[in-house]
Amino acid sequence: MLMCKDLAVIASDYIDGELPVLENMSVKMHLMMCKDCRTFIGNLRASTDMLNAHSSGQADEELIRKIDERVALALKEGSQDPTNQDPD
Amino acid sequence: MTDSALQKEQALIEGLKARNDQSYQEAVRTYTSGMLAVARFYLDHSSSEEIVQDCWVTVIDAIQKFEGRSGLKTWLHRIVANRCKNRLRSARREVSTDFSEALEPELADRFNAKGRWDLPPKLQFHDSADTLMENGALSDCLDKHLSALPETQRSALMLYEAHQHKSDDVCNILDVSASNLRVLLHRARQKIFLMVENFQETGEC
Ligand SMILES: [Zn+2]
Repeated sequence: MLMCKDLAVIASDYIDGELPVLENMSVKMHLMMCKDCRTFIGNLRASTDMLNAHSSGQADEELIRKIDERVALALKEGSQDPTNQDPD
Repeated sequence: MTDSALQKEQALIEGLKARNDQSYQEAVRTYTSGMLAVARFYLDHSSSEEIVQDCWVTVIDAIQKFEGRSGLKTWLHRIVANRCKNRLRSARREVSTDFSEALEPELADRFNAKGRWDLPPKLQFHDSADTLMENGALSDCLDKHLSALPETQRSALMLYEAHQHKSDDVCNILDVSASNLRVLLHRARQKIFLMVENFQETGEC
């Protein structure tokens, strides 16, 4: 019999559909009978979804400002490149 | 791309090659968000911002060799991806995940000797991920915990999602076996789960 702890071990494989057929069935059976594990699987899945919603990158003004500064500095430094300098 | 868009891009590239301040400002505003999104596949938020900043500085020299075989955007994204991969490669040596342990100790402790829940999850997370993420404090907390994850665990998780669950791709990038990828994914998800649960119960990060 699959215990709650066993299910916790393979929970991600279940969520991703990576379990062999028989194991997948015993997880489904367990979930039908066990509310705690249903909550656990649901929450584990929600955690991943949340991460997806979170990861879409959007550059904020602060970052743009920092990049402008660093680029401006690097452009200036570059102009002091010896090849561009007047020979003394 | 339309002809006029191509011409515009060409003009921008010329400006970048000529080290024109304004061209850089324009390019930074056009392409940074996309570059950041690429970096986020591999790294946490603050590391991603760092990498993207560094990339722009390297663009100043690298653009001289840009031949326009790919679009500017693709070229920039490739620079970001390569830099992220290098960073992961150096991080991997420092990080060790115990691949024989599928459960986070903190979660494993919540079962009794018979393998039943001693401390079951009490609350159900809200159904919609977007609702959760509208909570700024939770979003910040997630960032904090993502940064704290071992780099390989985090990138396993991010890449797996970003690559639509194509394990082969992710194993290739991270240079791990399929079974180790499964462990990395599961460990990372449990940590996020524990963090969200704690946040929901206590309101604290
Ligand atoms: Zn159970």
